[in-house]
Amino acid sequence: MSDKPQAAISCQNVWQVFGPNADSALAEALSVHSEPEAAAAALREKGLIAAVQDANFEVAEGELFVIMGLSGSGKSTLIRCISHLLHATNGEIRIDDENIVEATPARLIELRRKKLGMVFQHFGLFPHMSVIDNVAYPLRVQGMKRKARLEKAQKVIDLVGLGGREKHYPRELSGGQRQRVGIARSLVTDCSVWFLDEPFSALDPLIRRQLQDEFLQIQAELKTTIVFITHDINEALKLADRIAIMRDGKVVQIGTPSDIILNPVDDYVREFSKDVAKGRHAHVASVMEPGEGHVYGADDPGLRVDMTLDAALARCMDLYEPVPVRAEDGTLLGVVNPADLAAALHVEAG
Amino acid sequence: MAGLSKGSLAALVALVVGALCLLLETTLPWLVTFPETLVVPATDWVGTGMTWLLQLIKPIARGFSALMSYPMEATNLVLGSSPWILVIAVVTAIGWMLGGVSMALMAVVGLGFVLASGYWAESMNTLSLVAVSVPLALIVGGGIGVLANEYPRFRKPVQAMLDIMQTVPTFAYLTPLLVLFGFGPVVGLIASAIYAAPPMARNVLLGLERIEPEIKEAAIMAGGTRLQQLFQVEIPSAATQILVGVNQCLMAALSMVIIAAVIGGFDDIGWEVLLTMRKAQFGPALMAGLVIVVFAVIIDRMSGTLAQDNRKRYDARVAWGILAVGVVASAVTWNSLPNPSEYSAFDDAVDAVDAGLSAFTTANWQWLAAVKNNVLYFGLLPLRIGLDEAVLPFTWGFQWTAQWSLGLFAVGAVTGLMLALRGQVTWGIMVLIFVGMLETGITNLPWPFVLVGVAALGWVASGRGLAVLSVGLLLTILLSGLWDRAMLSLYLSGAAVFACAIVGGGIGLLCAVSPMAWRITRPICDMLQTIPLFVFLIPVLMVFQIGEFSAFLAIIAYAIVPMIRYSRHGLTETPDEMIEAAIASGATTWQILRDVRAPYAAPTILLGLNQTILYAFAMLVIAALIGTTGLGQLIYLALGQADVGLGISAGAAMAILALIADRMVQGFAEERRKVLGL
Repeated sequence: MSDKPQAAISCQNVWQVFGPNADSALAEALSVHSEPEAAAAALREKGLIAAVQDANFEVAEGELFVIMGLSGSGKSTLIRCISHLLHATNGEIRIDDENIVEATPARLIELRRKKLGMVFQHFGLFPHMSVIDNVAYPLRVQGMKRKARLEKAQKVIDLVGLGGREKHYPRELSGGQRQRVGIARSLVTDCSVWFLDEPFSALDPLIRRQLQDEFLQIQAELKTTIVFITHDINEALKLADRIAIMRDGKVVQIGTPSDIILNPVDDYVREFSKDVAKGRHAHVASVMEPGEGHVYGADDPGLRVDMTLDAALARCMDLYEPVPVRAEDGTLLGVVNPADLAAALHVEAG
Repeated sequence: MAGLSKGSLAALVALVVGALCLLLETTLPWLVTFPETLVVPATDWVGTGMTWLLQLIKPIARGFSALMSYPMEATNLVLGSSPWILVIAVVTAIGWMLGGVSMALMAVVGLGFVLASGYWAESMNTLSLVAVSVPLALIVGGGIGVLANEYPRFRKPVQAMLDIMQTVPTFAYLTPLLVLFGFGPVVGLIASAIYAAPPMARNVLLGLERIEPEIKEAAIMAGGTRLQQLFQVEIPSAATQILVGVNQCLMAALSMVIIAAVIGGFDDIGWEVLLTMRKAQFGPALMAGLVIVVFAVIIDRMSGTLAQDNRKRYDARVAWGILAVGVVASAVTWNSLPNPSEYSAFDDAVDAVDAGLSAFTTANWQWLAAVKNNVLYFGLLPLRIGLDEAVLPFTWGFQWTAQWSLGLFAVGAVTGLMLALRGQVTWGIMVLIFVGMLETGITNLPWPFVLVGVAALGWVASGRGLAVLSVGLLLTILLSGLWDRAMLSLYLSGAAVFACAIVGGGIGLLCAVSPMAWRITRPICDMLQTIPLFVFLIPVLMVFQIGEFSAFLAIIAYAIVPMIRYSRHGLTETPDEMIEAAIASGATTWQILRDVRAPYAAPTILLGLNQTILYAFAMLVIAALIGTTGLGQLIYLALGQADVGLGISAGAAMAILALIADRMVQGFAEERRKVLGL
């Protein structure tokens, strides 16, 4: 692993077990069973719950990493392990190569003040503070002077489009506005790692879409590393660079959105992608073959690697021969058979 | 045996034991009266042990007492020597800030009444006691609550300790405190701080526990240290609940300060009530009682607004204005104001009340005596000593004979059998048990039957643990020789609780059905809950004189409120969907009430009953002042003789009874909730 470029977040063998004497019970189970499934089963037999089982993944710097799963799949527990709201029962969680499982309380406070930001599903706003005081709170705990912190908070409030509501209290805001406050509060410290725990799940669909778009804009501007939790596959596909799918505490698949759509590892993942319009999420790259050694026809409909399958298919509706895929400057990148394009859209039928 | 349910099995065991005891009564008298030779002098042991312990910490206590006397004398001096105009202005200004015109007006009118009644000086004495004890209670209670929240390990023991502190009767605190701190107002101060701290601790803990986890997590993720999280986020977030605690703390302190007047040594308003009551001067007693009520209402309503969400803000300039007027008026009238104690605007009214009262009692003497005697002879007495002893020719008109007993049991047996045949086996057996208890009387119940019955109830309510606990605790009462007194207390509070359940449940039902009835009942309930226990004694005493019946009425007046509230609340909280489904099925209003609302309300009503029981026990001790014969009287006697052993033992016995009743009713409520899937 050491020869790879440094990951922003890296999780290795992360377990979170709930129940009496979780630590020793897990250690014992792991010493007996080498397979995570067997260890989890042994724990379950003792009445303990393994909410996260042997999670392994890395998040690159600036990556938007989405963890998806149904309720009870352990995704909220996992994000709490990474942000160390819960102390992971076992494993190593590195943020910028620092193992935060072993961090001292003082170091954790410092990390949270400087590096980490978090947004909560039900917003977690302080009811006794106005909008601007809520947003400025992370600065207040650092001891920043009132004037300075309110100035900074004001900027973030404007960024999330809440200008003019600084003096309101959380109870006077709508759900969408409340979550903007939550987002602003998590951003006020210029964090480099941003945790979002189902931030839009409690919102109406229309507001949700609006906030998703704004979120993507903010992300494009800030380029922070993001761990984003959701139970909504469409949200995951829309936002993610990569998606981890969780089920019953296990990470069952990690991949790009088109990977998840086109190559689901099992029925559980396939079930998720069933209702998804694949053509809109998968790209030409996922069905492209290398250009060398492949014959392609005379037609060139002008396919690009990052085109969605829908767009590509529209261009080769009446073609049967393989067609070239080119970069912007015209160099050949690969070949796509229109039949593969069509087949990719109907994966679940096969 | 296999076909019997848990309930019928338990009832059957109790019935068999009871019947055996009754049959063997004549041959084995120790079954009914616990042999005295087996009684352990536990009271003396407790006394010796406690005295030793108290002597040990006495120097510290006396030091503390001396220390506390400074703030007390200081507040007393400030409140006592401030011109009354200024005091009224300050309270009015606070009232304005808290609740605008209505609160300010309430302060002016209320304090004006106090002033005019001539009890100003005594009231200020009481107020200064409250003013010192409340901060003490807030700090101690708040500290306990925060610590219990910080260290989950302590939560359980702390909860248990708070339970005990609230079930131990108020008077029972006083005796050891008396020994520790000596006579004087400091005892009242400390007793009221001890009594007022638990509600604060409870509410702080509850408030902190109820904060949404995300709010706490947000504070952690903001990088707050533990202290920053606690004081900047968690405590302010829990403010509403904590302020409820402050309100309860204030009311408890006021109530206890007045009760503590029994010790004397401080010329306060509670003492005034006690003094006038002893002299049978009911007019002045009523007036002093009203002054207490006025204080209670002002303190309650003002601190109550603190705990309201979204309360309005009022212009501070008005408050400053009121204060300024007060200062100027005090300065202008300095030295020219008469002593507030000389006001006596109501003397004529008081005399009129006295005169009217004696006229009323003389005129209605026969009628009042009839009410009292009927309840005593046909209700309380048979319950206490059983039909076999209570039915005498000169009260009931005939002599209770063996034939009567046989007839009674026959009727019981037939009723029980009919119930059993209709599938209600448990109720059938229960009818027989009740008949047996009615024949014997609660205070004459054989002790093995009580132990087995309580064990059976505990077992059904929540399992073996409670059964063992209850029997163990009752055995200590039995062995320490307090059994007879405990049964007397049980009988009186049982009778009062029973009356509360019937009457209160009925009123609650009426209020649930008719919003009009609730609109009338609600302010009365609010009022009754605000009034310190002590004051309930005055009106019953005025009409019915000293005695068990007066105590009975006072207990009911105080303990009925939760029964009404919870019954109404339970009966009206049924989810709309359930009601709609019942309506759609074609049920009438009464059918809905019986088949849907009542079963759904059962756990809530049981909780109300639980509160009523605890209230009844609390009042029982206070009622000892006007003549009861149970444990309350012992506690009161112990206080007079500074007998620590007796005071603590009797207080503990009282707490044991309350604790067992509490656990059982909670157990039944829990079981009902489970059945309903709540």
